[in-house]
Amino acid sequence: MIMEEDYVVVGKKVPRLDAMDKATGGLKFVSDLFLPGILVGKVLRSPLAHAKILHIDRSRAERLPGVKAVITANDTPRRKFCMNPAWKNNMILQDEKVRYVGDQVAAVAAIDDDTALEAISLIRVDYEPLPAVFDPEEAMQPGAPQIHLEENNIALHGVRNFGDVDKGFHEADYICEGTYYSPPVAHCCIEPRGCIAAYDSRGKLTVWATTQTSHALREELSEVLGISQNKISVFQAPMGGAFGSRLGMDPIDGIAAILSMKSHRPVKLINTREEEFLSSRIRYPMKIWIKSGAKKNGRLIAREIKVITDNGAYNHEGGYVIGNAASKLAQLYAVPNMRYEGFLVYTNNVYGGAFRGYGNPQITYAMETQLDQIAEALNMDPAEIRLLNANQPYSMTASGCKITSCGLAECINKVVEVSNWKLKRGKQSSKGRGIGIACMMHGGSGVKFFWGKDCNFSSAIIKINTDGSVDLLTGSAELGQGSNTTLAMIAAEELGVSLSAVNVVNGDTDTTPACGGAWGSRQTFTAGNAVRLAAGEAKKQIFEVASELLGVLAKDLKIRDGEIFVSENRTKYITVEQAAAESWRNRGQPIIGKGVNKDPWSVQPDNMGYGNVSSAYAFAAQVAEVEIDVETGVVNVLNFWCGHDVGMAINPLGAECQIEGGVISIGLGYALMENLILHGGKVQNTNFADYKIPTMLDSCHTETYFIETLDEHGPFGAKGVGEPAMIPSAAAISNAIYDAIGVRVNALPITPEKILQTLSEKKKRLSNAGG
Amino acid sequence: MAKVPITIEVNGESYEGLVKNSTTLLDFIRQNLFLTGTKKGCDTGECGACTVILDGKVVNSCLVLAVDTNGSRVTTIEGIGQGQYPHPLQTAFVRHGAIQCGYCTPGMLMSSKALLDRNPNPSETDIKIALSGNLCRCGSYLKIIEAIKSASKK
Repeated sequence: MIMEEDYVVVGKKVPRLDAMDKATGGLKFVSDLFLPGILVGKVLRSPLAHAKILHIDRSRAERLPGVKAVITANDTPRRKFCMNPAWKNNMILQDEKVRYVGDQVAAVAAIDDDTALEAISLIRVDYEPLPAVFDPEEAMQPGAPQIHLEENNIALHGVRNFGDVDKGFHEADYICEGTYYSPPVAHCCIEPRGCIAAYDSRGKLTVWATTQTSHALREELSEVLGISQNKISVFQAPMGGAFGSRLGMDPIDGIAAILSMKSHRPVKLINTREEEFLSSRIRYPMKIWIKSGAKKNGRLIAREIKVITDNGAYNHEGGYVIGNAASKLAQLYAVPNMRYEGFLVYTNNVYGGAFRGYGNPQITYAMETQLDQIAEALNMDPAEIRLLNANQPYSMTASGCKITSCGLAECINKVVEVSNWKLKRGKQSSKGRGIGIACMMHGGSGVKFFWGKDCNFSSAIIKINTDGSVDLLTGSAELGQGSNTTLAMIAAEELGVSLSAVNVVNGDTDTTPACGGAWGSRQTFTAGNAVRLAAGEAKKQIFEVASELLGVLAKDLKIRDGEIFVSENRTKYITVEQAAAESWRNRGQPIIGKGVNKDPWSVQPDNMGYGNVSSAYAFAAQVAEVEIDVETGVVNVLNFWCGHDVGMAINPLGAECQIEGGVISIGLGYALMENLILHGGKVQNTNFADYKIPTMLDSCHTETYFIETLDEHGPFGAKGVGEPAMIPSAAAISNAIYDAIGVRVNALPITPEKILQTLSEKKKRLSNAGG
Repeated sequence: MAKVPITIEVNGESYEGLVKNSTTLLDFIRQNLFLTGTKKGCDTGECGACTVILDGKVVNSCLVLAVDTNGSRVTTIEGIGQGQYPHPLQTAFVRHGAIQCGYCTPGMLMSSKALLDRNPNPSETDIKIALSGNLCRCGSYLKIIEAIKSASKK
């Protein structure tokens, strides 16, 4: 067994393997790829929120010189799709109805952008407008316009009950209720989503896709196009961000494929920035009513929530997102009694998808803001109440989560220490400054929600070449989060070779074994374990050869620095290169190790959400310090201190980038500035001038601290970190604002207007109370 | 639409091309010259992914018409350092972890280079202002600032 202090590769700060290629502009993203004869694809999108499609006249578009294909639903197998087949009600091109502004109606492939745009403008669609509904609460009312077949537009109604919540509230010494609102927000990947599809004369479809899940995308394309999987190759192209937006098929993937099939040429279809805002996935907006009960010592004993989630026009991941959000009630702080009721409601708005945190940021904002209110009522310090309630290692939650490693208390203590919490809390309001804390719990290894009862696997293949170098084939996705580098480090450590000896091939359905892909902060843990298993098998084969050549038992062999030896003085040793070459040349046995990690420690939760949903759980505490200008309402975030239980930081530099990055762009933006404004179902702010995301000028000093609890199941103890990075950030900022100026804004984003409004309301309340 | 001939020097090499009046410098660089290091993020001058240096000035190439660059000198990411001979900024970005997905990186590097060319020892505020037009969604801002500071000391 390798001891932690002896690690050669893991645990060291390592620049990304592909960083220089990115720095020189050499790495090719989808839009950088050209194939001979490649055409430009464009989509005709509905200008109406809800309408019947009566007739499509494409004749003028087809006659335009340079246009090679014009397609509508008639050119497709007209198959409905959704990540969960039980929920499928979307189509890559709509045939009967459009249900949101931006919905796909037709598409063209042409020789260049200008021709494609002109062709789009020549397609004439006759619509019969239908009444539309944009607010989920209105959509649930009898008599509301019906969007699909479900009564009252309720796509899903879920309830969960653990313990006895009524008894819990009865026994509580203090009860607090509140309503919180989380808006629609956009991923804003700097690279717009797109793909290249090339259908050839063999009937083979090749797709270069911006996808987080190559194998799942291949499956979905196969389903929706009616082509068998072995005739579809998906290459995961390097991605300019994803954050969940590229989980699952997007209609443009299927559209590009059909355009290629019709035109017999490769087709490149890339969203414009406007399309990214108008018709790309968003974070599911939620209205959350939450009630919490606590004993007078601060222990939380009951929680109840009702959530109304705007599903938008079609099913995608809403059912999973609200389930994940619901699960947090009984997870964070192991509240023993909990009741949840959730409605996922169709509207004629753009529909949601996965977005970093997957329902957890929304629910954590509500829970952690309310917890501060409870602390205040009980005259407790917010950090103290969290310490009291912190989950413990090797404990169970009421929802059946088996927590193994848990460093939540250490995370809280750390950020309290480094932020000088005790000196600052409650003491800086005269300067308009405040400090706030929030915690989070999230899965650190993926979950078995998707695709079946037991489907959170990853697999890997390791080949050791005759020069001792290594090829690692992994079905995982590299989104820019650094997964390839992390997996290479795990392989190198396990195989005792240098990092530079490992070549990673990922996300290619032709050559890499299947993997669930990148979501749920799962890859370090789940793909990492598959890599370890593959390396273990390869090592076994190498050791068999080495043991014969060295005349020792295989079980006594060690491997390090590219050498295989028994004792540390290495009097007798053989290099990995020699052993691999010997096996290849003289024993007819190339070294090939396979690893399939089925993630055996987690289960699919039952209908009530009970079960150990993840093999390992990530925890974090963040402290934010803000300064507010009460004249303008502008909130300036000064500092963030982040304590994250990552199990083990395989690449501390990479993990720091993820945490810092999550806080200062997506986290800060979600808290303070981001809001997709829809009017009549149409997104109004479809550019970066009107939908502001944090710039470098907004970035605040951020410190990251790893709490390494060495999870027993994680590769070298590691757990996921990607989503945890930003889950508590909005609540930390909101709680800091309260410390500074004594107001809470319960509807994100916390804009200057809302600050001024709540300040003015507070002033009125105080003067009414006084007068 | 009739095409207009232009002659332009990019990264020290002279190119001739025929462009429509409406073709942006960004599209000319990427589609005519196949220099795909410069990225398209928004095509409306708001994200900075298309930043290049044009006649010594840092610009969003999606807001410049190719016809207006006849006779001009352009530097793109491919022109500041490559492979075995990276620019000190490129080395610093890599070493400090200032690159995650990498899509904003060429634009960031061009803005950084332009900054150091005019101000070899910028303060943190100088850096933030100079790069305020380059958006990064991965949130690498702090590491980028570190990298620029480190490169500026050389």
